[in-house]
Amino acid sequence: MAIDTTPPAPQPSALTSYLKSHALDGSHSPHYQTLALQILHNLQYQHDWTSLHIHTHSPITQKLLLRPLISGLPPHRIYVHPDDQVEELKRGLDPTKGEPEREWVLPTHLAEKWSLRRFGEVFGAVGEEPPEEAGEEDVSRDESEGGGAEGGPGRKKRRGGKRILLATLGDDSTVVYYIVHDGIVKPRQN
Amino acid sequence: MPALNGHTAPDLPFPVFQASAKVERYLLYDINTITWLRKNHNILGVLIGTLPQIPQQNVFLGLPLELQPEEARLLVEKGLAYTVNDLDWHTKDMASKTTTQIESIRADLHRDGIEVARELQKSKQKQTREALKRLCSNSFSTVSGDSAAGPDPQAQDDASEETLFADPPTQESTQAQSRLDPKPWTITPTTSYPPLSAPPVPSSPALPKVNPSSYALFAHLHEKDYFISPGIRFGCQFSVYPGDPLRFHSHFLAMSAEWDEEIDLLNLVGGGRLGTGVKKGWLIGGVEDKEEDGRDARDKVEADGGTGVRTFCIEWGGM
Repeated sequence: MAIDTTPPAPQPSALTSYLKSHALDGSHSPHYQTLALQILHNLQYQHDWTSLHIHTHSPITQKLLLRPLISGLPPHRIYVHPDDQVEELKRGLDPTKGEPEREWVLPTHLAEKWSLRRFGEVFGAVGEEPPEEAGEEDVSRDESEGGGAEGGPGRKKRRGGKRILLATLGDDSTVVYYIVHDGIVKPRQN
Repeated sequence: MPALNGHTAPDLPFPVFQASAKVERYLLYDINTITWLRKNHNILGVLIGTLPQIPQQNVFLGLPLELQPEEARLLVEKGLAYTVNDLDWHTKDMASKTTTQIESIRADLHRDGIEVARELQKSKQKQTREALKRLCSNSFSTVSGDSAAGPDPQAQDDASEETLFADPPTQESTQAQSRLDPKPWTITPTTSYPPLSAPPVPSSPALPKVNPSSYALFAHLHEKDYFISPGIRFGCQFSVYPGDPLRFHSHFLAMSAEWDEEIDLLNLVGGGRLGTGVKKGWLIGGVEDKEEDGRDARDKVEADGGTGVRTFCIEWGGM
């Protein structure tokens, strides 16, 4: 009785196929590249981010980054400085309805250890706002316009200075997002 | 009564008392110095004194004030204070007192104790008199014209008052007065200096020992006019207030680290979440190792007032 009862192997998950469909280049270790791709996948399909792009080189110094960083546009503003919030409320605007700003995302894994030096290096390599990229969801790492306008000349400075969205991946594929500011920035009162 | 509004500056530098040579605990006993420091130098400390009868008291604590080692260090570095080993100096100064001086200190305390006891006795007697009066007038209004009432209680009361409770007349001999004196209260002065003489200011005061990274962060935040209190109750190293904690909620839960110290990401996630839950930011900071990247870092140090501390604030992303 040699009936094969083993069920057929399940189809690979959406994430697995996504990771497989993107060839890794040699700029960073495969771990960092896969990590960035997984965070990008989470941002794109779970949080509806657009204009996602993976940066391997700093837009400021053009040097290779510590690890790949992601830039993207959230569907709504993820951070409003408390002073801006007060001003907008005074002017009768709804601070939650403001135009979203492009953000830097730093992919990390929960098992990692970080130090102040590494945060300092990451902040040293990025500007306040990620450079504009042509073509949405272009993950093919073409760095031709990586050194584009850093925030642009006409853009007003962000209150609170540089910030990075720290994306931390857990072993169960949960991703948590924390905003890290460079310097002392008073907390939001939401 | 010293002015407690914090306007009067204490004699500078003032002594900060190290409770023991082995354990670094820095205490202040003078309420005037404490209010002045809080008002003018953003130094909070922690009140640790309980009532002697309630040693387990944990709210509304009083003198003395315990300074954090960082606070003590800052005061000494600014030349506002110097540390004194309390026990050593106390023993030494006490030993150098003559018997007459000690006797006079004791006599002073005894006299103050009697004064307090007498005041208390007076107020007790007054209360008794008033209670009796009330009682009498009540009984008269209800049972008016009762022949069994005997002599007028009011008059009797007044008479007995004169004989028993009258203030000791001044013409009485001191011996009779001391016989009439109530048992003196035991007075515990809150400061030992006076009656002891304040310790001499050392030419090069000893610096309180501190953890370099936490002191750097403390000094950096203090320089930016933040009020800093110990943060263990809130799960961090310092809680950082933008003004006096009696008027403001704290803005940050702060944690210091060495520039290359490894920080578990779970700590950042936990700290960030803890802070966001109570509308605060999780602040980590340490002295930037500026050898690596020359000019930029040096400019930053100058902007920071020379402390060279770099800080990062973490808040929950809300997604």
